[in-house]
Amino acid sequence: MSTVSPVLRNRSARIALTVVVAIALIAAPLLLPAFANQTLVRIGVYAVAVLGLNIVMGYTGQVNLGQIFFVGLGAYVTAYGVNHGWNIIVVFVAACAIAGIVGLLVALAAARLGGLAIAMVTIALPIVGVPLAKRLSEFTGGSQGISARFSDAPDWSGLYSDQWQFYIVLLVTAAAFLLARSLVQGKYGRAFGVVRENEAVAASMGVSPYRTKVLAFTIASILGGASGFLYLAAVQYTSPETLSFGHSISLLAAMVIGGAGSIAGSLIGGAYYVFVPQLTNAIDPSFTTLSQGAILLVVLFLLPEGLVSLPRVIRRLGRRRTARPTSGNPPQTAPAHHPVPEAAREGLENTERQDRP
Amino acid sequence: MKIRTKPGGVLGIVAMASIVALSLSGCTRGGSGQGGGSGASPGITDTSITLGITTPLSGATAGPGTCTVAGVSAYFGAVNAAGGVKFGDGKTRTVTIKSYDDAYDPQKSLANFQQMVSDNVFAATAGLGTPTNRAYRDAAISEKFPQVLVMTGDPLFSDQKQSPWQLGFVPIYQNEGAAFGKLLAASKDQHKVALLSQNDDYGKGYVSGFKEAIKDASNISVVGEQTYEATDTSVDAQLTQLASSGADVFFNAMSVTPLTIAALQKAQQIGWKPSWFLPSNTSSPTAILEPGGAAAYPGIYSVSFAKAPQSPAFAKDPDVVKFLSELKQYGNYPDMPAFPHCMWSYMVGATLEQAFKNMTSPTRDSFMTALRNIKGLQAPLMLSGTSIDTTVDGQPAVSSVIVQKYNGKGYATAENFG
Repeated sequence: MSTVSPVLRNRSARIALTVVVAIALIAAPLLLPAFANQTLVRIGVYAVAVLGLNIVMGYTGQVNLGQIFFVGLGAYVTAYGVNHGWNIIVVFVAACAIAGIVGLLVALAAARLGGLAIAMVTIALPIVGVPLAKRLSEFTGGSQGISARFSDAPDWSGLYSDQWQFYIVLLVTAAAFLLARSLVQGKYGRAFGVVRENEAVAASMGVSPYRTKVLAFTIASILGGASGFLYLAAVQYTSPETLSFGHSISLLAAMVIGGAGSIAGSLIGGAYYVFVPQLTNAIDPSFTTLSQGAILLVVLFLLPEGLVSLPRVIRRLGRRRTARPTSGNPPQTAPAHHPVPEAAREGLENTERQDRP
Repeated sequence: MKIRTKPGGVLGIVAMASIVALSLSGCTRGGSGQGGGSGASPGITDTSITLGITTPLSGATAGPGTCTVAGVSAYFGAVNAAGGVKFGDGKTRTVTIKSYDDAYDPQKSLANFQQMVSDNVFAATAGLGTPTNRAYRDAAISEKFPQVLVMTGDPLFSDQKQSPWQLGFVPIYQNEGAAFGKLLAASKDQHKVALLSQNDDYGKGYVSGFKEAIKDASNISVVGEQTYEATDTSVDAQLTQLASSGADVFFNAMSVTPLTIAALQKAQQIGWKPSWFLPSNTSSPTAILEPGGAAAYPGIYSVSFAKAPQSPAFAKDPDVVKFLSELKQYGNYPDMPAFPHCMWSYMVGATLEQAFKNMTSPTRDSFMTALRNIKGLQAPLMLSGTSIDTTVDGQPAVSSVIVQKYNGKGYATAENFG
């Protein structure tokens, strides 16, 4: 986003860019090969899950290691609803609402605890979730899992299933990202930020840290549920393996790699979650864990603020390179150049975390 | 700074977008992905055929998962070195294996399946895992993509009506439980049996197969029945309970390796020494029985349909010698296989070769027809008394198993109980 910040400052250019991106997204599935669509669909699924995680961890600073539980819950609710012939809108609302209610109940208790204790409570969710999913076999299909197909393209659309799924995922993902963006740019976003930085300061400003944490946690769970709905749209199957604890850690890694406390970073995180296994499979399928670990370390080492900070780092490097040869005669170039990226950086922080007029 | 004017910026973006859109439209899908003008299915040419394996190559199930790739690669590596397979349509083709790691994650196995479709793979085979195979079963059916000889005991894959493009390879859980039940029922003595099973379809499958087999046997009585969760870290309480029942036979339908070792040790500690039955995937002599101190029991029984390379009885068997050298040379697996999946997937290779020989045209349809018509094939490494039979609806390719008894080093066929 920040690469085009000079253009973005221009209002009509921004509108034009939005329109172009929207048209590109709508046209893309018709032009791309099936596998590209299927990959984009999965990116959408996990981008929404990472977005939820980002709200509670990146923005509000509360450790949440249980996000995959809400994804799995949303997926199971969707599978149950679809197999019982509910209307698909009802299914979607139920997937979000049930995940949100469970998240709210957990948060009401967990948010009273400070720091690492919240992490412990959230670890418990997927650990309890897996055996629970195996036990409640009348709802979940037991350890064999449950299939539910609702995302095949209807005949009247004339589309392939992967294109149809793309549009379902695009709709939900775009809505989730736009809503989350307005949320973190508004007063709740400011409240999240204050609670993350200092709870005492937040309380003195009239922002209840407890309520803010519960809110962030609940929103994360709702987004987790929405991601679960999308998971079923994309995979059409879920099993207890879906909500295993390891995936929660992978989601966390994806969020950090994408960029904690950044909306765009969530999308990058989702892309990372999907692309890296595909990439490592192409390198050598026997060493996927090894190469995934190596990629993780390299990214964190070079870009500790996540991939979203890449343009900023490139610009900083570029500035250093252009600044060095002319360092003998700074007044000519440096004053003209220096403040701009600095301002852009500041501007980025503002847009990402707080409001913009 | 202000060189870029409004219209220029907007125009530039629109221009860029249209360039991107135009270049992307070059890769619009052609038809439904059917390649070749001669009506051949994707993934098969006049000289080669490509098979895909999605299986766990990392994570907790990586050991058996790696074996599934190694066995098939070993088999076809040797076949390719000898020139290839002569197909039923008269052409000789070499077999290429593409492997994909799914880490036992259903979502990843579906992604791998989609990758296979885009990589022009002819058929998926040998992949390990029930959830991972189930995750792309529907997609494979709608793509008319064979997903055959997969390593799962889930009966769904062998139901031809529900799974027209699938076929399981290994015996379903019920087959194994029933084999042991039959052996026990044929015994002349009275036996009291204690059952411990994993509380899911795995454990239930074993127990229902076993109970079905002893239904009419008056000499067998079930005196204790307990379950545990696959996530449990200890079954000490269940063992103590079952020990007090005084059973002399212990049927332990357990799929978790460390738990099986712990159970073998615990029962000794509390002085309960029955004969054991263990499922085929948790009965490895080196990985489970030795650390568990199994020599202390009067008998450890398991079922198998593959010759065990570790067993002294098969050390000089020509099949085993050939298998081990090919596994080393072509399968990238230099050690003695620690999991039966290496042998199983080697047999998968032999079964596929048989189907290739019988398929009359280079299509997936013809392949499925040929695959479903194999009967009485004694694949290499198979124990005598077992064979490949793909013709029975509802049964996997291998449904016959032989009960074996542990002899301190490996397994030997058990003719009767005791």
